Amino acid sequence: MFPVSHKTVYVLDHSSYFAQPCGEKMNYDVYSRTKTPGVIPAAHINKPLWTCSVECLFEYMRIIFDIYPFNKLIRVVVSNKSLNSWAHKEMNMNQLAVGLANVGPPLSDSRESDDEEYSVIQGLSQAVEALCQTTPLQESYMNSPANERIPLVNNGRIICMTHMKSEAHVRSLEECVVDAVNQHNKLAEATDTLLPINKVEVIFMHITPVKEPSHIPAKPKREVSTEVISELHPTQSGSVLYHKMIGLVQKHYDLASTTVTGIPMKEEQNAQSSANYDVELLHASVVHSDAMRQNQAEPPEGTVIVPSPEGLPPTVTLKWCTPKSSVVELHHCTGTHRITPVDVNSRPSSCLTNFLLAGRAVMLEQPRKTGVKVISHMLASHGGEIFIHILPTSRSILEDPPSISEGCGGRVTDYRITDFGDFMKENRLAPAPPGLLPDPEAKPVQKAYDVLERASRFWPIVITETILGNLVSSISPLPALMVKEELSDSEVLECKKVIYSIVAMESKNEPLPVPAVGSRGKGPKREEQYRQLWGELESLVRSYSDTSEEHVKVLDCLLDCRKPAAPGEETHSSAARVADVKPTVEDCDESGQAEQSWKELDKFQKMTEREKQELRKTDKVSVPPPPKKTKTEDLLMRPGGQNLLSMWTSRMKTVHNKRHVEFAGRAENPNNLQAELYIHLKEEDMDSNRPPPDSKPPMQRGIKS
Amino acid sequence: MPTVIVLDVSLSMSRPVPMADSSEEYQRRHLAVHGINTLLDFIAANAKLEFTSLVCYSYLWERLVPFTRDFESVKCALTNVELYNKTCIETALAGVGTVVQEEWSNVVPCQVIVVTDGSCGMGQGSLKHSLQTYNQRDSTDSKFPLPFPFPAKLHILCISNPGDSDLKASLPLYQKLIDINDQGGEVYSPDSPLSFKTVEEMFQSFAEKTYTPFHAMLQCGNFKCPVQLHPRPEPYDKELDFQCVHREMSNTLNVAGFLDIAEVASPPTLSRHLILPTSTRERNTKSDSNGGEDTNKDGTKSAGVKTEEEEDGTEDGKTPSFAVLLHGSLKVESMVAITKIGEDWYGMLYSWADSKKKSNLMLSVFEPGLDNTPWLGNLESLCPASMVPLPVLSPTQPSPQPLPHFPVRPGEKRSYAQSCVVWIKDTGLQSDMQKVLRHARKLPDKQQQFYKEMNRIRRAALSFGFHELLEAMATMLERESMLLPGTAHPSASMQLSHAANGLRSPAALDIVHTIMPLQTNFAAGDRA
Repeated sequence: MFPVSHKTVYVLDHSSYFAQPCGEKMNYDVYSRTKTPGVIPAAHINKPLWTCSVECLFEYMRIIFDIYPFNKLIRVVVSNKSLNSWAHKEMNMNQLAVGLANVGPPLSDSRESDDEEYSVIQGLSQAVEALCQTTPLQESYMNSPANERIPLVNNGRIICMTHMKSEAHVRSLEECVVDAVNQHNKLAEATDTLLPINKVEVIFMHITPVKEPSHIPAKPKREVSTEVISELHPTQSGSVLYHKMIGLVQKHYDLASTTVTGIPMKEEQNAQSSANYDVELLHASVVHSDAMRQNQAEPPEGTVIVPSPEGLPPTVTLKWCTPKSSVVELHHCTGTHRITPVDVNSRPSSCLTNFLLAGRAVMLEQPRKTGVKVISHMLASHGGEIFIHILPTSRSILEDPPSISEGCGGRVTDYRITDFGDFMKENRLAPAPPGLLPDPEAKPVQKAYDVLERASRFWPIVITETILGNLVSSISPLPALMVKEELSDSEVLECKKVIYSIVAMESKNEPLPVPAVGSRGKGPKREEQYRQLWGELESLVRSYSDTSEEHVKVLDCLLDCRKPAAPGEETHSSAARVADVKPTVEDCDESGQAEQSWKELDKFQKMTEREKQELRKTDKVSVPPPPKKTKTEDLLMRPGGQNLLSMWTSRMKTVHNKRHVEFAGRAENPNNLQAELYIHLKEEDMDSNRPPPDSKPPMQRGIKS
Repeated sequence: MPTVIVLDVSLSMSRPVPMADSSEEYQRRHLAVHGINTLLDFIAANAKLEFTSLVCYSYLWERLVPFTRDFESVKCALTNVELYNKTCIETALAGVGTVVQEEWSNVVPCQVIVVTDGSCGMGQGSLKHSLQTYNQRDSTDSKFPLPFPFPAKLHILCISNPGDSDLKASLPLYQKLIDINDQGGEVYSPDSPLSFKTVEEMFQSFAEKTYTPFHAMLQCGNFKCPVQLHPRPEPYDKELDFQCVHREMSNTLNVAGFLDIAEVASPPTLSRHLILPTSTRERNTKSDSNGGEDTNKDGTKSAGVKTEEEEDGTEDGKTPSFAVLLHGSLKVESMVAITKIGEDWYGMLYSWADSKKKSNLMLSVFEPGLDNTPWLGNLESLCPASMVPLPVLSPTQPSPQPLPHFPVRPGEKRSYAQSCVVWIKDTGLQSDMQKVLRHARKLPDKQQQFYKEMNRIRRAALSFGFHELLEAMATMLERESMLLPGTAHPSASMQLSHAANGLRSPAALDIVHTIMPLQTNFAAGDRA
């Protein structure tokens, strides 16, 4: 529960020993590669031991900060100087780069030899002090109730990059850590701000230049005191040290490696041809738990574990699958873990990472020789970070599930799928920026629940149960406005206009888009339909009436308009209702009554058009059938396939026909109402325009010249 | 979760059971088979999508029925079970390990149910002997099969009289097995002397505890819909860094809002559960410990008669259900519903299809906690998108196209997304050097880039304490100046020697210092 890897302190030996060359020559000259004639390649340069240590420290940090950007903290100590604190913002390689530049490399002439003898001892003591300091996570744990049940345990690790003179020197350094821990623990117990150390792992890296073997043997992990566990790794510097450190970082943080094989990439020199490359990635070891955790001595089929191409611990190979489409699918994925390439700046690595950062996802396939293709992982970037997704490969316990149509409500076919789709789109979520809500204590998600609650107060889920739901164009923006928590005066007016328009529709006895209830029968009468519509409208408006006074005003208006009609006085009462309404309409609209009614008429015509279109749309897209007009309406609308306009024109025709003799041109051409004049004119024109047969069209000539 | 029934078929199972009210002689194995049938009936009625496998064991083990939903085939196999010799439970557990891993790999949680008679063998191969040596095995071949390499609960059901001396000796050993597996489970034995009834009761109470369907209320604002989850969600217990997490799924699945499939981008999930809408009537008639809060008028109606239930089934199909509407719209719009399923615990609902035809509403459960999916940010920091202005790159310079809400970006870039310096291999240093030289050859056009790259290398060399490189780079720039063609702009060689001098000056060792270009008199127009 309290991992050692939460806190790591690096101690770098800054003594003059590390000023000497590491023994590996470095070739930095570009010309040595391209072999330009006449240029003498520059001599290789020597890297100091110090530089090798710092580079390995940076690689170690780069890997951890990429894979675990939170709560795996690393501090760096040089002599008695601590270069950063445990704060999250100081887990930053740029800051450490500046700090190390200011420290500078050790000097080769040991004039200050007295001091530098103590460089590591000071560093170790400083490291122990650092481990006594609380990290932000430890602090928040101590302030949480969990600390009462399970008191905090303060564990950590020290990695010391040094050079030992003898085995006695090793023991004295271990003693030094034990003493420092004892002293600091006493000190820490006396204060509230410092934590006593429960367990510290000390890893001594005994570094010698390349080709200089160490005369101190390796020492495995062992307890040197109740708190201190020590181990010693003798290693040569340069690439040997690098491989050692990458091995350690995998062990310390339980990492594993995947090699993506067969990445097609254009060759550097010859862009025409492409070759396949491999890239090795590091990530948490659970990514391969499926392959590694089995009890069998041999890994399961499809898992190929090979020696790492980078000379690191063994790696699992997976095959690259070139993505075919960029459509984002929802994969069932049992885990996602950050990755980092082992060789971050190499061409294949940056090619792969840039491809992923551009937004493409890559599936990874198990390299099986036979059988079906098994995809076990996916690489994808999210917000500039690359993750490996684990996709389950075994049989699913959910195979052959029942269809939702077989269960409760499954046989209902006229759900308002499209409308609820709009509802969902209106209730999308987004991350709240800090300071969005006036109350800093309130959780933004609560706002989401509140909005959903308001939006769903009146929302019939099937088409046959609602007239209102099928009248969206006529009643908008009323529903949208009612959901709002505050209404302005003009918005109240908008709502009232909608109500008046319904009144007007009713008074004109306009048909409503009533869905067919049963296969037989006429369905409810239109009066009945309007009564249902008014009922739904009232439920809608009433459910929001507790919001504000403005909402109440809308409800009042609705109730005024929807006076219960006395039986037998239907027509009269609806007329009266319109009369009631008219003055109000005039109040809000200055224009004359005639103009108003023209506008309304236009509006209604548009509405029916739109409705028709919508009906057609729903017909195509979604499962529920469009609300069908009842048979009676059909008869009314189209007696014998005719409408009002066709009836009117045919009548006018007969009237006019009686009054004059038909013009001969038109009589000859009964299909056209207009007689065509100069009918041969066009034919002649075309003849004269036709180009001579031998000449080519101008376009073709233009291209040739 | 899949079930493995492990039946003891050693000779001791043939011991007769004296029963007062029966003239026929029955053996313990008959009681065991009866008990298992009770269990299978319960599973078939309440969790018919579960897979069950039957394994029998004596000193060897055999898989009689592979994982199946056909409960009758298991029952049928039970009638043909033969008896072999002595009991060896370790073999049986090893067999279970093989059977489960072959089918489900090691990620699917399982129930392992051992049905035995409470005697655990003698000498070599006995449970006592196994437990004495379980942590002293060296080679992998004889490794003790527990804990199972997959998540599994281990239950042991004993066909044994209470107070039986064998049973008394065995109970602590059985418990020890469950403890070694350390993933839960219990030992069951009858409360009263053996009979068909007592065994049936024991299996029934076990079944009710383990296979009772999980009912919940799916809620989205004022929309509500009773649903059943399959498979049954299990409590979550895990020890993480700096926290011990224990969670149980709530009986309310509360939708917070909606996201596009592209926005959630395949987040990590713990488990998946089918969301099957249920009618309120079904909910109340079935014995359930979870959803008792809902009392319906129809609750008094008994569903004992089968024909009535069937009629209800067709009625239910025609009663609109919000879950079906939600499923339809999620499918059409390619969206998911972010849903709260417990304290600090969320999941997502979406339309899922095993084959192309049959789709269903699925709940994918996230790890408990609020920020397990970095690109979604903290889940309780989500709010209605209508309230959030689209983010811009910087407040002073509004970008021409506003950024999308998702993914949530971390504060810092990862090493592969920025130009970090790694010179562990020669090629790393060479390609950085080449970049400087490429700009050097295009001076003065690339003057700015030239100085930027050069200073970058210089700063990295200072951080690494690699001061030797400064001199080396200066030499290289001087050589480049000599190699410039005659057509080169006069300022090019001036800048190169200026830069080389800058690298050699003591000020170059200061990390905050930047080597600036030489100010020349050439007018801007000369550069062409």
